[in-house]
Amino acid sequence: MDIAELKAELETLHSASFGWAMSCCRRDRAEAEEVLQTVYLKIFEGKAQFRGEASLKTWLFAVIRKTAIGEHRKNLLRKLRWSDPSEEASKQVSAADEPGQAFEKSETQALFQNALKALPRRQREALHLVFYQDLSLREAADVMGISIGSARQHYERGKKHLRKSLGPTEVAYGIGWRKQNPDAV
Amino acid sequence: MELVGENRIQTLFSEQRLADEQTLPSFVAVWNRAQTKTYRPQRAFNLAFAGAAAVLVCALAAAALWSRQWQPDRRALVSVPSSTTAGPEQIVAATKDPEPKRWEQPRSSSKSRALRLAARRQALLLAANRKAAHEVKALASWQSPTATLLDSPSDELLKSLPQLSRAVDELKSFLPSSPK
Repeated sequence: MDIAELKAELETLHSASFGWAMSCCRRDRAEAEEVLQTVYLKIFEGKAQFRGEASLKTWLFAVIRKTAIGEHRKNLLRKLRWSDPSEEASKQVSAADEPGQAFEKSETQALFQNALKALPRRQREALHLVFYQDLSLREAADVMGISIGSARQHYERGKKHLRKSLGPTEVAYGIGWRKQNPDAV
Repeated sequence: MELVGENRIQTLFSEQRLADEQTLPSFVAVWNRAQTKTYRPQRAFNLAFAGAAAVLVCALAAAALWSRQWQPDRRALVSVPSSTTAGPEQIVAATKDPEPKRWEQPRSSSKSRALRLAARRQALLLAANRKAAHEVKALASWQSPTATLLDSPSDELLKSLPQLSRAVDELKSFLPSSPK
């Protein structure tokens, strides 16, 4: 597969790739873009090569995951060093201005995001790959680099934790009651 | 009844996907930025490696210093000669310290503590050696209380060696004088 073909394929997968990068970067948009850029650069320079062992989507997602983990580590190390406060402030301002922030602020989504963030990384990844990306558990296991059995365990545990985190909150906010009595409202 | 089923989770993820699509950066922009970007070496990793190496070196140095301070002072050890080969005088000579050592003023609290410990150890050792010397002296001058019973008037004859020349002279005196 030459670079032009690969570019066309990447373009079709761009939306899904960005969603996956967002999930890998814990919903940090700037970091997700940075990761995606680095992934495209790796592919462009031939540092990441598709050999056809899996589907292109699975391979691309595995590269994104690995790159995101590396970037996260680097960011952690950067945070340990002294950072410029003005830079931090500008970053915060730009993040607040993002259009997606309004969506994130919606009550249910905010609760959902918090519950997702509280999950262990692998559980969060398994849930995202299955529910968001519509991948099978086999494909999710390939992306995560684990066996299908482990992927199933992470998926089931993730669902359980998510239900536990969201369930009581929904009751508290009256969502459960509204579900049971749809005519009451 | 399950409050949050798979459908609910699916719906929440779908909402998230829609929101992400609204903020999706264009592929061309990301691709072009990636092409213009130069791939930097992993500097953060190198820094981390250097930091870890520095911490390791400091830990090793601290451990070496600590072990050196706690090492027993070999100068304080005085060898005591074995009683089978050495006499009491030798032991006394060995235990006599020519002059007590004056310890240097401690530079730090930990060093002074180590010096104090060494001094105490040496004092204990010297006391033990003095006690051993006294015991050896006492053993050397010991006499049995029944030793006097073994004394007799003929001890002089029994214990002294006969003098042959004198005996011959005495015998000659008893002999009859030979005719000349």
